[in-house]
Amino acid sequence: ERATPSSCGKNDYDLLVIGGGSGGLACSKEGEVFTDETECISLCLTGTKWGLGGTCVNVGCIPKKLMHQAALLGTAVKDAKMYGWQIPDTVSHDWPTMAEAVHNHVKSLNWGHRVQLQDKKVKYMNLKGSLVDEHTVRGLSKAGKETILTAKNIVIATGGRPKYPTNIPGAAEHGITSDDIFWLKKSPGKTLVVGASYVALECAGFLKGIGLDTTVMVRSIALRGFDQQMAGLVTDYMEAHGTRFAWKSVPNRVDKLSSGALQVTWTDTQTGSEHKDTFDSVLWAVGRAPETKALGLDKLGVQLNKETGKIVVGPDESTSVPNIYAFGDIGEGRPELTPTAIKAGKLLARRLAGQSTELMNYDNVPTTVFTPLEYSCVGLSEEEAEKRHGKDGIEIYHAFYKPLEFTVAERDASQCYIKVVCEQGGTGKILGLHFTGPNAGEVAQGFAVGFQCGATYSHLIQTVGIHPTCAEEVVKVHITKRSG
Amino acid sequence: MGRSWSRMSLSRVFMMWEMAHRLVLRRLWTLSVNDIRCLPTSTASVASSCYSTSLQSSTTRVSFLSPSRSLPRALPHTSRREVSFNVQDSEDFTERVINSELPVLVDFHAQWCGPCKILGPRLEKAVAKQKGRVAMAKVDIDDHTDLAIEYGVSAVPTVIAMRGGDVVDHFVGIKDDDELDSFVSKVIGQ
Repeated sequence: ERATPSSCGKNDYDLLVIGGGSGGLACSKEGEVFTDETECISLCLTGTKWGLGGTCVNVGCIPKKLMHQAALLGTAVKDAKMYGWQIPDTVSHDWPTMAEAVHNHVKSLNWGHRVQLQDKKVKYMNLKGSLVDEHTVRGLSKAGKETILTAKNIVIATGGRPKYPTNIPGAAEHGITSDDIFWLKKSPGKTLVVGASYVALECAGFLKGIGLDTTVMVRSIALRGFDQQMAGLVTDYMEAHGTRFAWKSVPNRVDKLSSGALQVTWTDTQTGSEHKDTFDSVLWAVGRAPETKALGLDKLGVQLNKETGKIVVGPDESTSVPNIYAFGDIGEGRPELTPTAIKAGKLLARRLAGQSTELMNYDNVPTTVFTPLEYSCVGLSEEEAEKRHGKDGIEIYHAFYKPLEFTVAERDASQCYIKVVCEQGGTGKILGLHFTGPNAGEVAQGFAVGFQCGATYSHLIQTVGIHPTCAEEVVKVHITKRSG
Repeated sequence: MGRSWSRMSLSRVFMMWEMAHRLVLRRLWTLSVNDIRCLPTSTASVASSCYSTSLQSSTTRVSFLSPSRSLPRALPHTSRREVSFNVQDSEDFTERVINSELPVLVDFHAQWCGPCKILGPRLEKAVAKQKGRVAMAKVDIDDHTDLAIEYGVSAVPTVIAMRGGDVVDHFVGIKDDDELDSFVSKVIGQ
């Protein structure tokens, strides 16, 4: 069905969004602002087998957080004994029960998004989109049927997919990625997680937390791009709680044994020695990349970053081709986060409708890594602050602390830590705030508002703490790193 | 539809035309009911209907349009007489719900919806009590998303009562046995 040409000029749609994830949905739903006269507003195309919602809903944030919660509850059950609860000595976890509950919630979100598209009068087609020219998109159905659509503005928000290693025999045939782990019907069993990104550590975290034998294989450093002191605390906690780490190691090959188990051979690059072990599952978490080839971008001359394959975008999410925009995970240099994709998508729709000129602000974006010991941060890492302001240009306040809840439970709080990186002298403006501890995301959200308002160290210590909480320790920091 | 028109009996020609017309009418209908809110719920066990809490559900404007039908229903159909059945596809829905001689309760449900699992059996019981005077069609909204969207389903469970191809009543969420009995009686009685 096409809208009448007279109502939208020569194109079928004002706004055509390829991608039905966090960004694509937010952008097309905001397309309501174009006009409420005709159906000539926005269209959303998705080409995956998942329901609406993209990575976040189907194989990312949502199932991740729910499984992280499952793991935390396991720890809570153990703590409960110290608080007087009469709990049997061994408590075990049933993967299928958790998986079914998680899948049910994800499906309810898929449906909810479908209803929202309908409510916002967004036309939705389950087709795999590719570009024909700067105003034309070809949509391919699962059955192979082609639909040609034209639009004044085309927005690409197709995100990324997990990468498989290309040089390791058996990697693709026998290994899985984050796309698979959340949808396994049976427990993955003894698992090797290859990688040390937040995806790798979060997955390893909940797998260990529900009682599975888990090993993390790290090529060089953990949580690249994050403050490395904080990354160390995160991995220290995981190691202290039973996760095995194979540091500075790279896998050589994966073979399937007659028993069905997977045998992995790897090299310790520091010593040069070779090792092998068997696992039930091998999870590759070695990076993500967009599927730009399938989009047909090269034909149109849409500029891509050669290294990452992502689309080069301007501050207004424009690409090298007029009328074609890209945002979310697929944009080069953009944070791979749902909230930034959502916000950027909404602002883009408003700008394209001529309703606003506001650009997306990618600074001061807070984030949290949901590892067994959670880590949240907003602003610069210590390394980055040092690079920009010099070691003498910054003052770092820090403190280790012990959550009250850990005391009775006799839990180790060695890695619970706060670091506030400020400008030296002047107003002492906060450049970066880092926190490891329980509910780190909840703790940091409020501080992110202060950060956005340009809070200084004196603002921080002028704020009265809420007692007894972990968060109050942030407004009480007074010992500097400089003081030794 | 490969047969030539001249070889078909007149009654069959009329039936096919009627079905085509009905399909067109179905496309034109929108469901909107004023002032019915689908409340987001926090837990399936407490709530009476399922909807994702991470989405803001605005007031769903669901009202009924009952277009007047000018088609005479003089010709008999051979429609199947199961009282409760799962809808297989769009054509199945047209044949067994739209074209049904009996009033039909359409139970829109989902695998992931706790309250749906409670309402389903209750509804079957209420329908069974009527001893063949009303039928029940079950629609899994994940399998038949377009159909559910077409009928304006937002939260589940949603039950729509149809008579002669028209929507005559509906409700969202769980009802107890007495409420269901009176709902079903009302649908039959009209």
